[in-house]
Amino acid sequence: MNEKLLFLIPLLPLAAGVLNALFGRRLPRALVAGLAVGGVALATLSTVVFWPLAAGEGTRATLYTWMASDNLRVPVAILFDPLAASMSLMVTFVSTLIHLYAVGYMAEEGGNARFFALLNLFVFAMLTIVLADNLLLLFLGWEGVGFCSYALIGFWFREEKNALAGRKAFLVTRAGDVFFGIAMLWLFAATGTLSISGINQAASALPPDTLFWLTLLLLTGACGKSAQLPLMTWLPDAMAGPTPVSALIHAATMVTAGVYLLGRLFPLVSLSPAGMATIAAVGALTAIYAASCALAQREIKRVLAYSTMSQVGYMFLAVGVGAVGGAMFHLYVHAFFKALLFMGAGCVIHLTGGENDIHRMGGLGRRSPLVFWSFLAGALCLAGAPLTGGFFSKDAILLAAFVAGGLYFKILWGIAATTALLTAVYTFRLLYLVFAGAPRTAGASHRLPAAMTWTLPPLALLGVFGGLFNLPTAWGGDGALGEFLGPLAGEQVHASHALEWGLAGLATGLFLVGWLAARWRYASYRGERPSPAKTFFLHGWQADRLVDVLLVRPFRVLADFFWQWVDRKGIDGFLEGGGASLMRLGGALRRLTTGRVHSYLAGFAWGLIAILAWMLAGFIE
Amino acid sequence: MIVPMSHILIFSGIMFFLGFACVLAQRNLIMILIGVEVMLNAVGVTLAGASALWQQVDGQIFVIFLMAMTSAEVSISLAVVVYLSRRKKTIEADAFSEMNG
Repeated sequence: MNEKLLFLIPLLPLAAGVLNALFGRRLPRALVAGLAVGGVALATLSTVVFWPLAAGEGTRATLYTWMASDNLRVPVAILFDPLAASMSLMVTFVSTLIHLYAVGYMAEEGGNARFFALLNLFVFAMLTIVLADNLLLLFLGWEGVGFCSYALIGFWFREEKNALAGRKAFLVTRAGDVFFGIAMLWLFAATGTLSISGINQAASALPPDTLFWLTLLLLTGACGKSAQLPLMTWLPDAMAGPTPVSALIHAATMVTAGVYLLGRLFPLVSLSPAGMATIAAVGALTAIYAASCALAQREIKRVLAYSTMSQVGYMFLAVGVGAVGGAMFHLYVHAFFKALLFMGAGCVIHLTGGENDIHRMGGLGRRSPLVFWSFLAGALCLAGAPLTGGFFSKDAILLAAFVAGGLYFKILWGIAATTALLTAVYTFRLLYLVFAGAPRTAGASHRLPAAMTWTLPPLALLGVFGGLFNLPTAWGGDGALGEFLGPLAGEQVHASHALEWGLAGLATGLFLVGWLAARWRYASYRGERPSPAKTFFLHGWQADRLVDVLLVRPFRVLADFFWQWVDRKGIDGFLEGGGASLMRLGGALRRLTTGRVHSYLAGFAWGLIAILAWMLAGFIE
Repeated sequence: MIVPMSHILIFSGIMFFLGFACVLAQRNLIMILIGVEVMLNAVGVTLAGASALWQQVDGQIFVIFLMAMTSAEVSISLAVVVYLSRRKKTIEADAFSEMNG
């Protein structure tokens, strides 16, 4: 098999996206949707077909040399190894389902061509990140997903709120990208190559300080994309976009790109213990921060946004303790159940006639059982109900953190375990408020298209039985995903089966406690009880205000200074003042030209007298 | 030379300043032109005197040039004056100040 055919995987969605972007306005709706879904579905198919190429070391394919200058060589090359293959299979498969769902979701909206073109372009950019064999190509995809995310969050740009949310997402992630860019330049300066495998090989020769700072820079870049502390404020606002966008970009794929980046460069990252500890700490702190915020959210999609942030925090924690396999396992399972939850939320919003507030929902379980059961499956995975996919993947991370050694990692494990409890609480709060009891508002219900409901069950099955992909040996499994990833899975977790069972029991206990707490409080609706703490959590610990005070306002003051004083009064004042004084001089001089012959003649006379006087003076001397 | 050079110079200087005074003092365009003629002829006298002093013919040739130039100038100037007097029914120089800044 010609390995260059691997380029079909990213290029098929690109082709569909370009076709839609160029001709989509003139094509009938069905054809636009068919192109979009077809492009991504074919990409899924080709990933499956090319799957054998991923075995072992994987396959490398080069299309052409993108840039060559001195010792900088950037080929457009892809590396189809187990990590990239499994990630691209997940991305293409989930994208296909979400594209199908979007066909139903967008059935009554305008701008279909723009929507699907951007969605396909996003899939192309995401696959570029996943498959790229060098950092610059990866960065191209990295910026591509950022742009598509920006354009899709602000898809309904006529409302200013949406456009602002898109801009915020773009700017905040760009702040992280700057650090990623610096890391890339530094890596090239230090190793002389941008190839990922080349960097990973050369990393062991770098001094520890350099490695630490490089890890921090890469971490900051990953934080921006993955909405981790402190660059996390954009993700909740990003929910202004259409629901399929939230499901695809802000739950399943793009926000996990940071984890993937750290996983790709794990051989480099793992060489710096301090860097690893920082990654783990960022992950654990984000996990608990986002979980606490999710407890108090009112909008269904914002609850899910914070839970995404929290789950991505788990993945960072896993990378930080060296369990890349665990991180990828959680990434895949999370992609399935979180896409499912978002798609379910889209159905719920449709059913309630555009209502977002969970306090005004209720009683939806009877309205649409299919949506309810699918959503329940996703929620159980999120909450970590025993034997679901989420249970196993979260457990693997908790176990890896527990055995990572040292008091430091034990504290992080404690934080992560507390987060698991909070996760169960907020998940069941969401479930009870949305589906239980009687309807609290009589909103006009929209009809649910079949494309929106029948895409849910496959994801529900994958989420619930996702544990089978990587069943731990203690449960009689063989850790298939870890085996498949091989050396890419990071460090092996060594733990006795007794410890594994103990931690699984603890996780089950936390799940049950969380469920009971939510059941006690929310099983029957008792109205809202506002409190200062709730408001604090609702606004995400006032992070937006903090950013406003610390960054935005000083920046505005500085910008105002440069605008009003330096530019307006300084530069403009100088130039305009010079111009004005010359104008005044000209105004004074023009009075000399009276237009009357006599004044000119008088001028001649005075000139003559002056010349004569001068000559006379010379003559006398 | 019968007439000393200094006399010629004094004579032409007086003539020049008389013409110049006429140009400055008169408001009438025709009078100003006459003043200019007087000044030009003062220069012509000097040129003729200098030609006699150095026994060179150049000065006299210059005077002939001067006469030709003057006749041309006068014909144009008078045409302009006629045109101006038709426009404003006056030949006062101060009446024509449209070219002021």
